[in-house]
Amino acid sequence: MSLLLQSLVLGVLLGGLYALLAAGLTLYFGVMRVVMIAHSAFLILAAYLAWFWTTETGIDPMVSLLWTVPLFFVTGVLIQRLLISRLRPATLTMMSVLLTFAVALVIEGTLGFVFTGTQRRVQLPYGGADISIGGVNIAVVKLIAFGLAAASLLALYLLLTRTKFGQALRATIQHPEAARLVGINTERTAGYGFGLGLATAAIGGTALSLDSTIYPSLHWHWIGPLMAIIVVGGLGSIPGAAIAAMVLGVGQSLLQIPLGTTWAQTFFYIALFATLMIRPQGFFGGRLAQRF
Amino acid sequence: MKVPTSLRITALAVAGSLALTGCISSGDSGGGGGDDDTISIGISLPLTGDYSEPGKGVQQGYEAWAAWMNENGGLLGKEVELTILDDQSSADRVAADYEKLINSDGVDLIFGPFSTRLVVPAAQVAQDYGFLFVEPAGAAPEVFTQGFDNLFYAAPAVADDHYDYLADHIEAMPPAQRPKTAAYAAMDDPFAMGTAYGLKARLEEMGVKTVVDEVYPPNTTDFSSIAAKVADSNADIMVGGTQYQDAVNLILALQQLDYQPAMAAFSTAPTNPEFPEAIGDKTEGILSPTGYTPDATYPSNKEFVEFYTAEYGDPPGEDQANAWTTGQVVAAAVEAVDCADPDPECQQQLIDWLHENEVETVVGPLTWDSEGRPQGAHMIQQYVDGKIRIVLPEDQAEAEFIAVKPPW
Repeated sequence: MSLLLQSLVLGVLLGGLYALLAAGLTLYFGVMRVVMIAHSAFLILAAYLAWFWTTETGIDPMVSLLWTVPLFFVTGVLIQRLLISRLRPATLTMMSVLLTFAVALVIEGTLGFVFTGTQRRVQLPYGGADISIGGVNIAVVKLIAFGLAAASLLALYLLLTRTKFGQALRATIQHPEAARLVGINTERTAGYGFGLGLATAAIGGTALSLDSTIYPSLHWHWIGPLMAIIVVGGLGSIPGAAIAAMVLGVGQSLLQIPLGTTWAQTFFYIALFATLMIRPQGFFGGRLAQRF
Repeated sequence: MKVPTSLRITALAVAGSLALTGCISSGDSGGGGGDDDTISIGISLPLTGDYSEPGKGVQQGYEAWAAWMNENGGLLGKEVELTILDDQSSADRVAADYEKLINSDGVDLIFGPFSTRLVVPAAQVAQDYGFLFVEPAGAAPEVFTQGFDNLFYAAPAVADDHYDYLADHIEAMPPAQRPKTAAYAAMDDPFAMGTAYGLKARLEEMGVKTVVDEVYPPNTTDFSSIAAKVADSNADIMVGGTQYQDAVNLILALQQLDYQPAMAAFSTAPTNPEFPEAIGDKTEGILSPTGYTPDATYPSNKEFVEFYTAEYGDPPGEDQANAWTTGQVVAAAVEAVDCADPDPECQQQLIDWLHENEVETVVGPLTWDSEGRPQGAHMIQQYVDGKIRIVLPEDQAEAEFIAVKPPW
């Protein structure tokens, strides 16, 4: 019983982290139909920057967010304006896979060159600490990562629903031509949308660095599950990605008990295949995803 | 590299006279290697390509060994001369290299290359010519199941036997103090799994109950679920068949769940200098097997470390040590049998001698089974007072074995 409860709690914490890591990925697709293979590479880059910050200054990795978030936002806007917007609209989705694959390789190579292939981990005084509630242990680092995910997803939600920029961004997602007709500068909005996606990568990567050992090629292990999450959730839907992440995270954690690690990992892909067979547009993407 | 002309002429002259004496000596019927005053040893190594890093390490070990032998009177009183070819990490090249070394270069002895993938084709060539084949790397099970009777692995143990000293130690404990339950988590990799399952087989024989047995793929990123299973079982001993990042992630995940085993053993990771940086001050009592450490007190190891450090500036690593060990093993057989020539009769005597005798080396005394598996075990290291030290076997111990690990 306690193992079941413990696994459930671990699954929820894992699901929260997955939701944060996948949020940006679904945003890029929603705004620009871009499949951003390099998203997980940017996560690892942010994790490296957090590790480097803590090793050099001794200050908590969370503080590095103060400069990595703006840095990633600007980088995102630049990537969109200088690279992605140059692709032909007709083949944008397909070519973006190729382009961002190249970006991922460049990031991986640069990390290997600068920090070497040695596996790193941020050493935190509270790295192994836990809070025990009713026989369930909750790791402090996982709780922080979950809090960070919840706060940023809430902020993202409020930004998209309560601000003028959010309305413009959603209009661009829903119908770019109509958005242009009512006077929205969709080009600029798309740039900011991309920057926003990359800013979530900065937060996600920092959350990741708190509780994992990082190395330059780690991002290949992450991109598959994250892609599965956004397809199951419906491409372009942030609430859909969050819910799918939670369901898959908890599912993986619980399936681990009877099936073991290898089979529990395939749960993501079984969910992906099932989604494509039963509801190809995803469970929350609705009309939007159907157009592809 | 440029070689001065005068040196080239000298080399040519030496080679020429060698060839002459070779002709003369092969004319008489003396079985002891003739009266030429060098023993040539042929080696092919991956000096470029995928395995160039460890390949160079092995090369340094071989060259240091030859230099040391020549400074100390040589082998059978003759100078040792190495011919090292580059196989470019290719399995096709390595077989051709050994053909050439044996056939056209006419070397007296051969040493093995680096890694399983190159050892198997090279050993096949050696087998065809009846040569003794001692190799410094290639511990995978398939090396020993090809039917080679001329092959010997010059290291303490194959993966399955890495934990033997720990198993012996647990067996020697009073039954009441032995762990009752064990949890195993191993990466899906022949080496990592081999270490954990080798210990599992021994512990199960002693009646230690297996309560968790998890195998995870190498791309696993989340270890909290595995840790939850282990913590729920509350096993007395935790055994990890691990590489590096998986061990670190698993240990942190176990700490987060407040699981406190009496013993915790992980392969590979704890001996890595990065390990204490990642885990912090919670390493105390963690166990790990190790194939070589410069601190080992085996008689010839001190000489080796001193000589090597003087020559290269840094203490030797495992690749260098295994190469040196290869040299020691072949030299021991040559000195005992008193021959070193390509004649099949001499080579067979060397092979037979190694099957029957123990050799004292820098990684400890070695003996082999009929397939060439070394019958030793890896030393067991443990974090004691924040530093990794040898604790088993007791005659090599630098620190006392901590039987009950302090909480991490």
